Amino acid sequence: MISLDSVSMNYQLEDQQVSVLSNLSLSVSKGESLAIVGPSGSGKTTLLLLLAALETPSTGSIYVNEQNLSYLSQDDLADLRRDKMGIIFQSFHLIPSLDALSNVALPMEIAGNADARLIAKKMLTRVGLEHRVKHYPLQLSGGEQQRVAIARALAHSPSLVLADEPTGNLDAKTGHNISNLLFELHKDMNTTLVLVTHNEQLASRCQRIVHMQDGKLIEEDTDALSA
Amino acid sequence: MRFLLSFAWQDLRASGRQLWVFCACLMLGVTLVTVSGALYRVVNNSLLNDTRALMGGDIEVEANQALSEDILAWMESRGKVSLTRELNTMMGTQNDEFLLVQLLSTDSNYPLYGQLVLSKPGTIQSLTSFYDGHWGLLIDPVLAERLNISIGDIVSIGQLDMQVRALVLEQPDRRLSANWRAAPVLISDEGLEASGLIQPASLIDFDYRVRTEIDSLAWKSQFYDAFPDSQWEVRSFADRSQRIAERLAQIASGLLIVAFSTLFIGGLGVFNSIHTYLQSKLKTLATLKSLGLRQIQLTQLYCLQIGILAGFSGLAGIFLGGVLTLVGSQIIAQEIPLTSALLPFVLAALVAWLFGILTSFTFALPALGRALSVNAAVLFRGDSKTPATLSSRWLLITILFSTLLAGLILTIVPDLKFGLGFIAMTLFCLVFFECIVRALKKIAFSLEKTQWFQSHITTKLAIANLHRPGAPLRTALLSLGTSLTLLVACTLIVTALLRLINTTIPEESPALILYDIFPGQTRDVEKIINSFASTEYMTLSPLVRARVTQINGQPISKMKFTNEGWQEMARDEHKLSYLSGNIDGVKMVEGDWWPSQDSETALNEQVYIVMENREAHQMNLKPGDKLQFSAAGQNIEGILTGIYSQKGLQTRFWFEAIFSNGALDPLINRYVGAVYMSNAQALEAQKILARTAPNIISVLTKNIVDSARSLLTKASSGLVVIASLSLITSLLVLASVMAAGRRQQIYDATVMHSLGARVSVIKSAIRREYSLLALITALFATGLGTAIALLLLEFRLKLESSDLIWLGLATATAASSLVFAIGANYLFRHLKISPAILLRDNET
Repeated sequence: MISLDSVSMNYQLEDQQVSVLSNLSLSVSKGESLAIVGPSGSGKTTLLLLLAALETPSTGSIYVNEQNLSYLSQDDLADLRRDKMGIIFQSFHLIPSLDALSNVALPMEIAGNADARLIAKKMLTRVGLEHRVKHYPLQLSGGEQQRVAIARALAHSPSLVLADEPTGNLDAKTGHNISNLLFELHKDMNTTLVLVTHNEQLASRCQRIVHMQDGKLIEEDTDALSA
Repeated sequence: MRFLLSFAWQDLRASGRQLWVFCACLMLGVTLVTVSGALYRVVNNSLLNDTRALMGGDIEVEANQALSEDILAWMESRGKVSLTRELNTMMGTQNDEFLLVQLLSTDSNYPLYGQLVLSKPGTIQSLTSFYDGHWGLLIDPVLAERLNISIGDIVSIGQLDMQVRALVLEQPDRRLSANWRAAPVLISDEGLEASGLIQPASLIDFDYRVRTEIDSLAWKSQFYDAFPDSQWEVRSFADRSQRIAERLAQIASGLLIVAFSTLFIGGLGVFNSIHTYLQSKLKTLATLKSLGLRQIQLTQLYCLQIGILAGFSGLAGIFLGGVLTLVGSQIIAQEIPLTSALLPFVLAALVAWLFGILTSFTFALPALGRALSVNAAVLFRGDSKTPATLSSRWLLITILFSTLLAGLILTIVPDLKFGLGFIAMTLFCLVFFECIVRALKKIAFSLEKTQWFQSHITTKLAIANLHRPGAPLRTALLSLGTSLTLLVACTLIVTALLRLINTTIPEESPALILYDIFPGQTRDVEKIINSFASTEYMTLSPLVRARVTQINGQPISKMKFTNEGWQEMARDEHKLSYLSGNIDGVKMVEGDWWPSQDSETALNEQVYIVMENREAHQMNLKPGDKLQFSAAGQNIEGILTGIYSQKGLQTRFWFEAIFSNGALDPLINRYVGAVYMSNAQALEAQKILARTAPNIISVLTKNIVDSARSLLTKASSGLVVIASLSLITSLLVLASVMAAGRRQQIYDATVMHSLGARVSVIKSAIRREYSLLALITALFATGLGTAIALLLLEFRLKLESSDLIWLGLATATAASSLVFAIGANYLFRHLKISPAILLRDNET
């Protein structure tokens, strides 16, 4: 499903080169769940950005569904995100001017799916928000907003879900409920899940955990779930 | 596309309120472009729609006596000829009211083009013929209303009582109404002869109109070839169209330039507004990117939003413009009968709407380009800064739109020179203000580091705010500076004109002005005038009409014409007189008077001449030139010793040359006069003069002043409306500047407050910063605005106005202070937010 081959990422900071990721190789199988953990500045977010095709590596190759991302145009990458990926952000990033239903339907409407709103409605029911479809983000609680965000990320049945601290902005109880929902949907829909988190408990629910430090993979827990 | 449209609309409905400045700026700009464009088209269509009919023929030959049979035969062999004789005189009513009218006697061929529409059935000939004991006449409805007369009433013309037989509802060769000049009165040839007004010295214009298939320019050329020594003025409808069109084009171009300036100022508001809006949309933009919306779709989405806003704002501007056009055209219709305003308005509205759309895109594209360059990675990193520079692709598109806008301006502005001047001036202003901004920033940066500022923290903060990134200095100078410049210029011009009307004319003008006094009537006139107790004095001055026949010994007819203006000038009749106590208030500008202008000089001695500057310059004359004038078959030669100017609106008779005393004596057959007396007695004197000497035309200065004041009030109101709309636009732009900089400024202020700076210190720094901005803006606006106004007043209107500089400075300072005070107050209100909330959310 995903394969990173000797990926490095450098930034030019004035006259200095800063290495963020260094010679990183990793593969994630279809349907697998992977947690990326590590301290701040270890390169977790950069790795997620590369997987979302929002950044380009300095060297190395990234393959998603056997496609080398380096060979795809910006439009192809946008289409890839639209059709194959779902992204969940720590701060939800719902469109404030759209109600819950429109937010969930958005990726499908971008793709021109005529049944977008119907599917979105079903997805909102699935995440327990059938009574909040006409509400705007500002009228929803944090937990509800993240449910909408999860519904939006999964409504178009992506093969890959990328989540950036999905419970980071929520209280413990809500966070627990959200993580339950996320893993339940991951299991039901057989998607590949890659999540970045500081939350050890959340990470432990993934099949694999990779630990990062200074832009390198330092440790890999191959069967976290069973552990 | 349907999705994009639906999303754009939903997004605008939810958050478009932030864009009210965008809408308001654009609406006001489009309003002014619509009004000026529509009024220009309406007036242009009314005056130029059919200039053949307006002139009454393809060719017009103007003479002050009947043309000889051979010339008439030549003309008749080349088209249909119609003669109209015109004579100005006083018309009296049964109520003893007298008014200047223009008698027109026409022949049976009149009108050659168009149709005369009368309020009663019948022809001119039948209605003006003698029956029921009176000759008949046909009058202008405005005249009938003014004198309160109706069909069947008896009026006096010359020695006769005549009967009003019908009202002239439409006269094809007269588009100016009776408010404008002497009202027309149609009369038969026989009636005119019977009035006794035609005497050897009577000033009658013989207008021969020709309807011909021959090209008018070729006809004119053939006429000059056939009659090379002729001194008549020959004009074609093309000449007339061209002259009217040129004058109209200049006025309309001036108005349109003001409108475009407002639209340009509004464009800055559009930029600020859309920039602020897109800044608040960066996360939405990034989210849409991360959800897979392509760059082109994002561009389409926000272009759609700009298009929707610009489209609706433009429509609102058109509506407001329509209302103002209606009001404006009703005011103009009091002076010029206008044709339908609907089609010209629709065309002008479409053009203005297009301008609105183009302006909004031109000014919004840089902000849009920066916003769309934002990386979707901001959602993960929390960094939502747009790039400081515009990508080359967006820069190119912006330049393309600017060029398109400039091209459209050049196409629309009737006078190309105005259009080019505006574009050059705009570019100059941009470069000039940019240089000033950079210089001021450097100065502020250097000053801040000096020792004195280190110990004056409040002033230091104010100075620092002038050069910090995102400081409002540039926009304030550019937008508010430009609009204040316009305001200052308008204020000075309107004040100078109002002052002229309100003080100078009443103080210096005579109460009564007299024309067409025959030499034998001067004693009687003096006797009548001196019988009134309030008479202070009366000046009579001869009026001789003559043409220049030679310059420095070379006959005019043999001289090569350097230009069309020279040719017309040379063929023109000039009004000559004596100095006679300087009745016209002339002032020497070149050369000098002759050595003893007060002494009596016989004609056989040396004749000296001074000429009016416009005439002299058009004929390329200079002091020392020898001139020969010809009048009634006699020649007078003299030396030009000086060139004078007249005092603009104060001038009564517009003498074009003044001769040394005695030189004109043998040619004098008419006098003009100015009487200084009370207005009430001037009215009585006018009645007595009209009854005893009906050929004498008398005009009450009060009437002239009143009509001049009325015209000026209308013009001033128009200027005030334009200046107000422009000022409102600049206020909105400033509001947008404040809004754009508010977030950062409040954040900075809050950080300072958290670090221990007192709110009073922060407010004081802001007050000082804004005072500095107000002062700088006022200074530049005063400088530029005064320069524009003085150039126009001194060189074009010839009005002394240097003492008005202080008024300009006061206007700019007051307006500038007011604007910045409102801005500061707005900012202070937002500073009340709790620092804790502000710093935690990094959001205001």
